[in-house]
Amino acid sequence: MAQLDEYVEAEIQRLLTENGAVAEQGITLQRRDHLLVLGGEVESAQRRDEICRQITTRFPEVEIACDIGIVRAAAPSEVEEIS
Amino acid sequence: MIRIAAVGDVHVDKDVLGRYRPALEQLPDVADVLLIAGDLTRHGTVDEAQCMAQEFGGLGVPVIVVLGNHDHQSDQELQVMDVLRDAGMTVLEGEGTVLTLNGHRLGVAGAKGFGGGFAGACASSFGEREMKNFVGTTEAIADKLGAALRGLECDALVALTHYAPVPETLTGEPLEIYPFLGSYLLGQAIDSAPTALALHGHAHHGSERGRTPGGVPVRNVAHPVIKQAYNVYQLLSEETGAGLVHA
Repeated sequence: MAQLDEYVEAEIQRLLTENGAVAEQGITLQRRDHLLVLGGEVESAQRRDEICRQITTRFPEVEIACDIGIVRAAAPSEVEEIS
Repeated sequence: MIRIAAVGDVHVDKDVLGRYRPALEQLPDVADVLLIAGDLTRHGTVDEAQCMAQEFGGLGVPVIVVLGNHDHQSDQELQVMDVLRDAGMTVLEGEGTVLTLNGHRLGVAGAKGFGGGFAGACASSFGEREMKNFVGTTEAIADKLGAALRGLECDALVALTHYAPVPETLTGEPLEIYPFLGSYLLGQAIDSAPTALALHGHAHHGSERGRTPGGVPVRNVAHPVIKQAYNVYQLLSEETGAGLVHA
Protein backbone atom coordinates (compact mmCIF):
# COMPACT_ATOMS: atom_id res chain seq x y z
CA MET A 1 0.00 0.00 0.00
CA ALA A 2 1.50 3.33 -1.07
CA GLN A 3 1.72 6.05 1.54
CA LEU A 4 -1.19 8.37 0.90
CA ASP A 5 0.46 11.53 2.10
CA GLU A 6 0.03 15.16 1.11
CA TYR A 7 2.74 14.91 -1.53
CA VAL A 8 0.97 12.07 -3.31
CA GLU A 9 -2.30 13.99 -3.08
CA ALA A 10 -0.70 17.10 -4.58
CA GLU A 11 0.92 15.03 -7.33
CA ILE A 12 -2.41 13.43 -8.25
CA GLN A 13 -4.17 16.81 -8.22
CA ARG A 14 -1.62 18.17 -10.69
CA LEU A 15 -1.76 14.99 -12.79
CA LEU A 16 -5.50 15.39 -13.27
CA THR A 17 -5.11 18.97 -14.47
CA GLU A 18 -1.87 18.81 -16.44
CA ASN A 19 -2.31 15.41 -18.11
CA GLY A 20 -3.78 16.09 -21.53
CA ALA A 21 -6.03 13.04 -21.41
CA VAL A 22 -7.80 14.39 -18.31
CA ALA A 23 -7.45 18.20 -18.01
CA GLU A 24 -9.86 18.40 -15.08
CA GLN A 25 -9.49 21.09 -12.40
CA GLY A 26 -12.67 20.25 -10.52
CA ILE A 27 -11.89 16.82 -9.09
CA THR A 28 -11.72 16.65 -5.31
CA LEU A 29 -9.47 14.21 -3.43
CA GLN A 30 -10.19 13.01 0.08
CA ARG A 31 -7.66 10.81 1.86
CA ARG A 32 -9.06 8.05 4.05
CA ASP A 33 -6.83 5.64 6.01
CA HIS A 34 -6.04 3.43 3.03
CA LEU A 35 -8.26 4.88 0.37
CA LEU A 36 -8.43 7.87 -1.91
CA VAL A 37 -11.99 9.09 -2.57
CA LEU A 38 -12.49 11.01 -5.82
CA GLY A 39 -15.33 13.55 -6.08
CA GLY A 40 -16.69 16.19 -8.42
CA GLU A 41 -18.49 16.01 -11.74
CA VAL A 42 -17.31 15.67 -15.33
CA GLU A 43 -18.99 15.87 -18.73
CA SER A 44 -18.84 12.20 -19.76
CA ALA A 45 -18.40 8.67 -18.44
CA GLN A 46 -15.27 8.32 -20.60
CA ARG A 47 -13.66 11.24 -18.74
CA ARG A 48 -14.52 9.72 -15.36
CA ASP A 49 -13.06 6.38 -16.38
CA GLU A 50 -9.91 8.02 -17.77
CA ILE A 51 -9.31 9.79 -14.45
CA CYS A 52 -9.37 6.47 -12.60
CA ARG A 53 -7.17 4.86 -15.26
CA GLN A 54 -4.55 7.60 -15.07
CA ILE A 55 -4.33 7.44 -11.28
CA THR A 56 -4.18 3.62 -11.25
CA THR A 57 -1.46 3.61 -13.93
CA ARG A 58 0.69 6.20 -12.15
CA PHE A 59 0.02 5.02 -8.60
CA PRO A 60 -0.82 1.30 -8.90
CA GLU A 61 -0.72 0.77 -5.13
CA VAL A 62 -3.18 3.54 -4.31
CA GLU A 63 -6.67 2.20 -3.75
CA ILE A 64 -9.29 4.59 -5.12
CA ALA A 65 -13.03 4.95 -4.70
CA CYS A 66 -14.63 6.91 -7.52
CA ASP A 67 -17.60 9.08 -6.52
CA ILE A 68 -17.27 11.28 -9.62
CA GLY A 69 -20.62 12.05 -11.22
CA ILE A 70 -21.64 12.97 -14.76
CA VAL A 71 -23.22 16.43 -14.92
CA ARG A 72 -26.85 16.26 -15.96
CA ALA A 73 -27.70 18.09 -19.18
CA ALA A 74 -31.50 18.25 -19.15
CA ALA A 75 -33.50 21.31 -20.21
CA PRO A 76 -34.58 23.64 -17.39
CA SER A 77 -38.15 23.80 -16.13
CA GLU A 78 -37.91 27.18 -14.40
CA VAL A 79 -36.99 30.76 -15.23
CA GLU A 80 -35.54 33.20 -12.70
CA GLU A 81 -36.73 36.78 -12.88
CA ILE A 82 -33.84 39.15 -12.24
CA SER A 83 -34.66 42.33 -10.35
CA MET B 1 -39.13 40.94 -21.62
CA ILE B 2 -35.80 39.39 -22.53
CA ARG B 3 -35.04 35.79 -21.61
CA ILE B 4 -31.37 34.88 -21.37
CA ALA B 5 -30.22 31.28 -21.38
CA ALA B 6 -26.77 30.81 -19.87
CA VAL B 7 -24.27 28.10 -19.10
CA GLY B 8 -20.50 27.88 -18.71
CA ASP B 9 -17.79 25.26 -18.53
CA VAL B 10 -19.30 22.90 -21.07
CA HIS B 11 -15.83 21.56 -22.03
CA VAL B 12 -16.98 20.12 -25.35
CA ASP B 13 -14.99 17.40 -27.10
CA LYS B 14 -16.05 14.44 -29.23
CA ASP B 15 -17.29 12.52 -26.19
CA VAL B 16 -19.82 15.24 -25.37
CA LEU B 17 -21.39 15.53 -28.83
CA GLY B 18 -25.15 15.07 -28.61
CA ARG B 19 -25.41 15.42 -24.81
CA TYR B 20 -26.63 19.01 -24.84
CA ARG B 21 -28.48 18.89 -28.11
CA PRO B 22 -31.91 17.65 -26.92
CA ALA B 23 -32.10 20.50 -24.40
CA LEU B 24 -30.71 23.01 -26.90
CA GLU B 25 -33.41 22.10 -29.41
CA GLN B 26 -35.95 23.37 -26.84
CA LEU B 27 -34.01 26.57 -26.16
CA PRO B 28 -35.69 28.85 -28.74
CA ASP B 29 -39.03 28.13 -27.04
CA VAL B 30 -37.83 29.39 -23.66
CA ALA B 31 -35.09 31.96 -24.33
CA ASP B 32 -34.15 34.71 -26.78
CA VAL B 33 -30.36 34.37 -26.61
CA LEU B 34 -27.74 31.96 -25.25
CA LEU B 35 -24.70 33.25 -23.35
CA ILE B 36 -21.82 30.86 -22.65
CA ALA B 37 -19.37 31.80 -19.91
CA GLY B 38 -16.13 30.25 -21.15
CA ASP B 39 -14.36 26.89 -20.99
CA LEU B 40 -16.10 25.92 -24.17
CA THR B 41 -13.51 23.21 -24.85
CA ARG B 42 -11.20 20.89 -22.88
CA HIS B 43 -7.81 21.94 -24.30
CA GLY B 44 -8.60 24.83 -26.65
CA THR B 45 -7.85 22.94 -29.88
CA VAL B 46 -9.40 23.63 -33.27
CA ASP B 47 -10.90 20.13 -33.32
CA GLU B 48 -12.63 20.75 -30.00
CA ALA B 49 -13.83 24.17 -31.18
CA GLN B 50 -15.41 22.44 -34.17
CA CYS B 51 -17.18 20.05 -31.78
CA MET B 52 -18.35 23.08 -29.79
CA ALA B 53 -19.64 24.74 -32.96
CA GLN B 54 -21.47 21.56 -33.92
CA GLU B 55 -23.06 21.05 -30.50
CA PHE B 56 -24.03 24.69 -29.79
CA GLY B 57 -24.35 26.06 -33.35
CA GLY B 58 -27.43 26.55 -35.50
CA LEU B 59 -29.80 27.02 -32.57
CA GLY B 60 -32.14 29.61 -34.03
CA VAL B 61 -31.19 32.14 -31.35
CA PRO B 62 -28.03 34.27 -31.14
CA VAL B 63 -25.14 32.68 -29.23
CA ILE B 64 -22.64 34.94 -27.44
CA VAL B 65 -19.55 33.46 -25.78
CA VAL B 66 -16.35 34.36 -23.98
CA LEU B 67 -13.36 32.03 -23.78
CA GLY B 68 -12.14 30.44 -20.57
CA ASN B 69 -8.74 29.32 -19.33
CA HIS B 70 -9.17 25.85 -20.88
CA ASP B 71 -9.69 27.50 -24.26
CA HIS B 72 -6.17 28.96 -23.99
CA GLN B 73 -4.43 25.69 -23.10
CA SER B 74 -3.14 24.95 -26.63
CA ASP B 75 -2.23 28.55 -27.51
CA GLN B 76 -4.73 28.36 -30.37
CA GLU B 77 -7.30 30.78 -28.97
CA LEU B 78 -7.36 32.90 -32.14
CA GLN B 79 -8.11 29.86 -34.31
CA VAL B 80 -10.71 28.70 -31.77
CA MET B 81 -12.41 32.10 -32.00
CA ASP B 82 -12.36 31.90 -35.81
CA VAL B 83 -14.10 28.50 -35.75
CA LEU B 84 -16.78 29.79 -33.40
CA ARG B 85 -17.34 32.98 -35.40
CA ASP B 86 -17.57 30.96 -38.62
CA ALA B 87 -20.33 28.98 -36.91
CA GLY B 88 -22.24 32.23 -36.32
CA MET B 89 -21.35 32.77 -32.67
CA THR B 90 -20.32 36.16 -31.27
CA VAL B 91 -17.05 35.90 -29.35
CA LEU B 92 -16.37 38.75 -26.92
CA GLU B 93 -12.97 39.61 -25.44
CA GLY B 94 -13.11 43.06 -23.96
CA GLU B 95 -15.86 44.05 -26.37
CA GLY B 96 -19.61 44.52 -26.39
CA THR B 97 -22.52 43.88 -28.69
CA VAL B 98 -26.16 44.98 -28.78
CA LEU B 99 -29.03 42.75 -29.91
CA THR B 100 -32.61 43.81 -30.44
CA LEU B 101 -34.85 41.14 -28.90
CA ASN B 102 -38.62 41.47 -28.52
CA GLY B 103 -38.30 45.18 -29.20
CA HIS B 104 -35.71 45.68 -26.43
CA ARG B 105 -31.99 46.31 -26.84
CA LEU B 106 -29.87 43.79 -24.94
CA GLY B 107 -26.28 44.88 -24.46
CA VAL B 108 -23.68 42.24 -23.62
CA ALA B 109 -20.07 43.03 -22.82
CA GLY B 110 -17.74 40.14 -22.23
CA ALA B 111 -14.20 39.14 -21.37
CA LYS B 112 -12.50 36.04 -20.05
CA GLY B 113 -11.28 37.86 -16.96
CA PHE B 114 -8.47 36.55 -14.79
CA GLY B 115 -7.51 35.99 -11.14
CA GLY B 116 -6.11 38.06 -8.32
CA GLY B 117 -8.55 37.62 -5.46
CA PHE B 118 -10.89 39.84 -3.55
CA ALA B 119 -10.84 42.66 -1.00
CA GLY B 120 -8.87 41.67 2.06
CA ALA B 121 -7.00 38.89 0.27
CA CYS B 122 -6.02 40.15 -3.15
CA ALA B 123 -2.79 40.17 -5.09
CA SER B 124 -0.91 43.46 -5.52
CA SER B 125 1.26 44.69 -8.34
CA PHE B 126 4.47 44.62 -6.33
CA GLY B 127 7.75 42.76 -6.22
CA GLU B 128 8.68 40.25 -8.89
CA ARG B 129 7.97 40.94 -12.53
CA GLU B 130 5.86 37.74 -12.65
CA MET B 131 3.61 39.12 -9.90
CA LYS B 132 3.24 42.47 -11.62
CA ASN B 133 2.40 40.68 -14.87
CA PHE B 134 -0.24 38.59 -13.10
CA VAL B 135 -2.00 41.57 -11.56
CA GLY B 136 -1.44 43.70 -14.66
CA THR B 137 -3.17 41.09 -16.82
CA THR B 138 -6.30 41.29 -14.70
CA GLU B 139 -6.18 45.09 -14.58
CA ALA B 140 -5.99 45.33 -18.38
CA ILE B 141 -8.86 42.89 -18.89
CA ALA B 142 -11.02 44.60 -16.26
CA ASP B 143 -10.33 48.01 -17.81
CA LYS B 144 -11.48 46.76 -21.22
CA LEU B 145 -14.55 45.10 -19.73
CA GLY B 146 -15.53 48.27 -17.90
CA ALA B 147 -15.06 50.43 -21.00
CA ALA B 148 -17.09 47.97 -23.09
CA LEU B 149 -19.93 47.97 -20.55
CA ARG B 150 -20.01 51.75 -20.29
CA GLY B 151 -19.93 52.10 -24.06
CA LEU B 152 -23.13 50.18 -24.80
CA GLU B 153 -26.45 51.93 -25.35
CA CYS B 154 -29.19 49.49 -24.51
CA ASP B 155 -32.26 48.77 -22.36
CA ALA B 156 -30.67 45.91 -20.40
CA LEU B 157 -26.94 45.44 -19.85
CA VAL B 158 -25.31 42.08 -19.11
CA ALA B 159 -21.68 41.31 -18.24
CA LEU B 160 -20.31 37.93 -19.31
CA THR B 161 -17.02 36.61 -17.91
CA HIS B 162 -15.39 33.28 -17.21
CA TYR B 163 -13.64 34.29 -13.98
CA ALA B 164 -15.74 35.40 -11.01
CA PRO B 165 -16.30 39.08 -10.16
CA VAL B 166 -17.37 38.42 -6.54
CA PRO B 167 -16.43 35.89 -3.84
CA GLU B 168 -20.02 34.95 -2.91
CA THR B 169 -20.45 32.74 -5.96
CA LEU B 170 -17.25 30.88 -5.03
CA THR B 171 -18.75 29.56 -1.79
CA GLY B 172 -17.99 25.84 -1.78
CA GLU B 173 -14.53 26.22 -3.30
CA PRO B 174 -11.43 26.06 -1.07
CA LEU B 175 -10.64 29.57 0.23
CA GLU B 176 -7.01 29.02 -0.73
CA ILE B 177 -7.79 29.07 -4.46
CA TYR B 178 -10.08 32.11 -4.55
CA PRO B 179 -7.28 34.27 -6.07
CA PHE B 180 -7.17 31.84 -9.01
CA LEU B 181 -10.93 31.93 -9.50
CA GLY B 182 -11.62 35.63 -9.89
CA SER B 183 -10.90 39.22 -9.03
CA TYR B 184 -12.64 42.15 -7.40
CA LEU B 185 -11.42 44.22 -10.36
CA LEU B 186 -14.02 42.50 -12.54
CA GLY B 187 -16.72 43.41 -10.02
CA GLN B 188 -15.51 47.00 -10.00
CA ALA B 189 -15.73 47.09 -13.81
CA ILE B 190 -19.26 45.67 -13.68
CA ASP B 191 -20.26 48.26 -11.07
CA SER B 192 -18.89 51.09 -13.23
CA ALA B 193 -21.86 50.69 -15.60
CA PRO B 194 -25.63 50.24 -15.11
CA THR B 195 -25.27 46.46 -15.37
CA ALA B 196 -28.44 44.45 -14.79
CA LEU B 197 -26.87 40.99 -14.55
CA ALA B 198 -23.38 39.51 -14.39
CA LEU B 199 -22.79 35.91 -15.49
CA HIS B 200 -19.64 33.86 -14.97
CA GLY B 201 -18.39 30.28 -14.74
CA HIS B 202 -15.03 28.69 -13.80
CA ALA B 203 -15.91 27.76 -10.19
CA HIS B 204 -17.29 24.22 -10.52
CA HIS B 205 -17.78 23.84 -6.76
CA GLY B 206 -19.08 27.35 -6.21
CA SER B 207 -22.59 28.70 -5.62
CA GLU B 208 -25.09 30.14 -8.06
CA ARG B 209 -26.04 33.48 -6.57
CA GLY B 210 -24.27 36.60 -5.39
CA ARG B 211 -24.19 40.38 -5.81
CA THR B 212 -21.46 42.87 -6.49
CA PRO B 213 -20.66 45.55 -3.90
CA GLY B 214 -22.72 47.88 -6.12
CA GLY B 215 -25.72 45.56 -5.98
CA VAL B 216 -25.58 43.91 -9.42
CA PRO B 217 -26.97 40.34 -9.37
CA VAL B 218 -24.24 37.78 -10.15
CA ARG B 219 -24.91 34.22 -11.30
CA ASN B 220 -22.33 31.45 -11.50
CA VAL B 221 -23.59 29.36 -14.42
CA ALA B 222 -20.79 26.78 -14.47
CA HIS B 223 -22.41 23.58 -15.66
CA PRO B 224 -21.56 21.57 -12.50
CA VAL B 225 -23.19 24.37 -10.44
CA ILE B 226 -26.47 24.68 -12.33
CA LYS B 227 -26.66 20.91 -13.06
CA GLN B 228 -28.72 21.30 -16.22
CA ALA B 229 -28.02 22.24 -19.83
CA TYR B 230 -28.62 25.97 -19.18
CA ASN B 231 -30.41 28.33 -16.84
CA VAL B 232 -32.90 30.94 -18.01
CA TYR B 233 -32.90 34.46 -16.55
CA GLN B 234 -35.58 37.00 -17.36
CA LEU B 235 -34.91 40.73 -17.63
CA LEU B 236 -37.30 43.63 -18.30
CA SER B 237 -40.15 41.43 -17.14
CA GLU B 238 -43.69 42.01 -18.25
CA GLU B 239 -44.78 38.40 -18.18
CA THR B 240 -43.38 35.01 -17.35
CA GLY B 241 -41.53 33.19 -20.10
CA ALA B 242 -43.73 30.80 -22.03
CA GLY B 243 -43.35 27.19 -21.01
CA LEU B 244 -41.39 27.84 -17.83
CA VAL B 245 -42.51 28.52 -14.28
CA HIS B 246 -40.89 31.05 -11.97
CA ALA B 247 -38.10 29.69 -9.77
